[in-house]
Amino acid sequence: MIRTPLRPLARILDARQKGENPDVIERENIRQRHEEMRNKTRARAEGRLLVLGLMFFCAFTVIGARMGLMAASEPAEPRHRGGGAVISAQRADIVDRQGRILATNMETHSLYAHPHQMIEPVRAARALVGIFPELNEEKLTKLFTGKRKFVWVKKTLSPEQQQAVHDIGEPGLLFGPREMRLYPNGSVAAHILGGSRFDKEDVSSADVVGIAGVEGFFDKELRDPARQGAPLQLSIDLTLQSASEDVLYSGMKLMNAKGAASVLMDAQTGEILSMVSLPDFDPNSRPHAATQGHPDDHPTFNRAVQGVYELGSTFKIFTSAQALDLGLVNPDTMIDIRGPLRWGKHKIKDFSYYGKELPVTKVIVKSSNIGTARLAQMIGAARQKEFLEALGMFKHTPVELTEASGGKPLLPKNWSELSTMTISYGHGISTSPLHLAAGYAAIANGGRVVEPTLIKQPKPKPGPQVLTAASAEASRAMLRLVVKHPDGTANFGEVKGYAVAGKTGTADKPKPTGGYYDDRVIATFASLFPAHDPRYVLIVTLDEPEVMALGEQRRTAGWTAVPVAAEMITRMAPLMGLRPQVEPEAMAGITLASQ
Amino acid sequence: MSYLEYTVKTVPSGLRKVLFLNWPLVVLLAAVASIGFLMLYSVAGGSFSPWAETQMKRFAMGLGAMFIVAMIPIWFWRNMAVVAYAGSLLLLLAVEFVGVTGMGAQRWIDLGFMRLQPSELTKITMVMLLAAYYDWLPLKRTSHPLWVLLPVVMILIPTFLVLIQPDLGTAILLVTAGGLMMFLAGVHWAYFATVIAGGAGFIAAVFQSRGTEWQLLKDYQFRRIDTFLDPASDPLGAGYHITQAKIAMGSGGWAGRGFMQGTQSRLNFLPEKHTDFIFNTLAEEFGFIGAFSLLMLYVLILVFCVASALQNKDRFSSLMILGIGLTFFLFFAVNMSMVMGLAPVVGVPLPLVSYGGSAMLVLMVAFGLVQSAHIHRPR
Repeated sequence: MIRTPLRPLARILDARQKGENPDVIERENIRQRHEEMRNKTRARAEGRLLVLGLMFFCAFTVIGARMGLMAASEPAEPRHRGGGAVISAQRADIVDRQGRILATNMETHSLYAHPHQMIEPVRAARALVGIFPELNEEKLTKLFTGKRKFVWVKKTLSPEQQQAVHDIGEPGLLFGPREMRLYPNGSVAAHILGGSRFDKEDVSSADVVGIAGVEGFFDKELRDPARQGAPLQLSIDLTLQSASEDVLYSGMKLMNAKGAASVLMDAQTGEILSMVSLPDFDPNSRPHAATQGHPDDHPTFNRAVQGVYELGSTFKIFTSAQALDLGLVNPDTMIDIRGPLRWGKHKIKDFSYYGKELPVTKVIVKSSNIGTARLAQMIGAARQKEFLEALGMFKHTPVELTEASGGKPLLPKNWSELSTMTISYGHGISTSPLHLAAGYAAIANGGRVVEPTLIKQPKPKPGPQVLTAASAEASRAMLRLVVKHPDGTANFGEVKGYAVAGKTGTADKPKPTGGYYDDRVIATFASLFPAHDPRYVLIVTLDEPEVMALGEQRRTAGWTAVPVAAEMITRMAPLMGLRPQVEPEAMAGITLASQ
Repeated sequence: MSYLEYTVKTVPSGLRKVLFLNWPLVVLLAAVASIGFLMLYSVAGGSFSPWAETQMKRFAMGLGAMFIVAMIPIWFWRNMAVVAYAGSLLLLLAVEFVGVTGMGAQRWIDLGFMRLQPSELTKITMVMLLAAYYDWLPLKRTSHPLWVLLPVVMILIPTFLVLIQPDLGTAILLVTAGGLMMFLAGVHWAYFATVIAGGAGFIAAVFQSRGTEWQLLKDYQFRRIDTFLDPASDPLGAGYHITQAKIAMGSGGWAGRGFMQGTQSRLNFLPEKHTDFIFNTLAEEFGFIGAFSLLMLYVLILVFCVASALQNKDRFSSLMILGIGLTFFLFFAVNMSMVMGLAPVVGVPLPLVSYGGSAMLVLMVAFGLVQSAHIHRPR
């Protein structure tokens, strides 16, 4: 930088020579220098100001652009994006044959705690116990004051409970959204629906998996997102299911039974319209598996499907029907019933003395073991086996329940001639009530086998013909007589207008140690109605019934299962849209001729 | 020593000063404040109470204060700079001991007739002191390290006092305004480059440290940053303010929903709708047009300030006007960025529009100083 000297010697000398004051030159130069300096700083300041101005301009541009962007944006309500896993596809609903909800889902919340975020853990624990009495205050306090960072408190909350927990005001208590399975009808159809539980749960969601019943059987299908939540339609009818549970429960109490089961089946299609097992449970809080007592007495045990019992005399109709079908006898053929019938060490006896011989019809009506055994002898082991196998008595029912495979019939290891004779009247073979229902459906629908199902069928799918229509009809006539005839074992089963036909069975219960109890029975009534145009099959089984009647302890099905079944039909037939009808004379004609 | 006192020859005196006021600036301020009254009237559901009426009284008071300050010669104010600065520091200290706690922070001193927020006052006194300092400092020493350190200390003392209140927003404003004033005064750019590079490095280090053992911030502080970067991740918690504010802006569209038709603010979805978030109410009711008009008014105020500063040959005056102008700029730029989701929510009011006594009064006094500098400029 070249600086002009303040007192340039040349100019000063020059000025002095001219007699001017040289100080003027110095002052002039100082002024010039100051001007220069000011101009320089001014230039610098203006440069700085320009930079600042540019910054302002950028800021304004950004703010203005943002304003425009926001003004142009569509306002959208924000949705909470959970940090955790996405709630898995909604589980499909389950509905009855009319489309009424049996199982659905509900949005709810789980409650968990972050103890390290808690302000007053002790107070929170006390307040929680106030809301949920089932919680243990001591345990909670310990968990909340301990080292754990995460504690599950409750898996599902009702909205009221959630509000109450919220009102505690404890920041360490947190809610997580989740979907729970809800069975709005409570215990109705409990064994059919089965139940579900949470799998793979975290705070923002939980998978619901079916663990029993149709929930378990169709678990994959119900969770399949491809179904898009299309409901699973069952064959059962909520109204009939509820009514049959109601009546069967009263019946069980009245007959002092410890358990009961019933199956109502459409004889044409095999669709199960109602199926009850008592005692039952609420699938909303399915009880834990039995830890003590016999597993068969646990509420979750499905007697109608899993329970295999010797169903006794109800089997006799299969024997007589087959004998008719094979042309070995006709309904009026006289059968020798003198007893006891000895076979090796075994004696076959009747309940009481019915005379020397009886026509086939009467063998069924009076339920003669000896007569039936004689028919079985005529049929022979091979043909009997073939027939029962065709009816589905040899393997578990194909019904769509996880429990179905547990209902495997018990068959004799060696199908001897004695077995043939005892099986003919229902001893030595154990099947579930559902097996029996399928067998009776074949008799009711004119001799075609049906597969029991819980899924609503679009149309009947006819199975193989195992009986001719004629022999099936003749068998129905016999069954009708069992109810209608004053001597019939099921004469308490008459329901005016609905022409009930059926067969009783009373089987002694086997002891776990071998042999049979003489005071514990399984009483069964297998029925079909209306007899002249059978559409429905109803099986009622009571476990260990005992009732005082006419001054005697009575256990036989005629006194126990039959009245209960009659009551069920009385209650359910109108619900099914059956109108009371006068029985056609033709039916009576056959019976008259047989007498 | 300024040459001001000696070169002022034609400065108007007496009531003639009124004629030499920067009247366009006065009109602009009144226009902005009127928008504020309108919005406060609207958010109260079409009522002058509780906000609009009080705000109008305050503005009237502020206008009076501005005229009084403007009448007093600027060299008096320059000489008062150190006193004012010391006074505001004392008030900031007093807040620590006798302050009224509000909204989780100690910020106010109750003076009986009004609640004073010394941090607001400090913004102006600091600007005054820095302007006076650079006026006094010989130009060649401007970039000398020792003479750079001194103003840095002047900035950091009030910043620290504000930070422990705690009031992060004001602290950031103080540092930024002070730094920019030093920049304008001509401090060598290398200092700023160093500070900016260092700051960027520090921020990078903070983010790098996340999840490691030497983590520099607490987890919740990181989460707050996350919320700023993506408010939709927690729309009901920390992101609530900003999410609702954005909805208000979006629903306003270009032309707005109409006066008193803003649902977001009137149905109480919008928090702090009469203070920090009043801009969203404006944007919802008058749309982009209304919001942009307000922005333009602010820009005009700034332009008039800068023009006045450039006219002024006195170094103290021009530095002070620029300082006040950029403080004003920082106010509304930060507030607008904040409510539009461009900056974290730090609690800076919208100048002259948001409901609030201290801020309004202090700002009017500051513009009084601008006017004084304008009237008493050397000609």
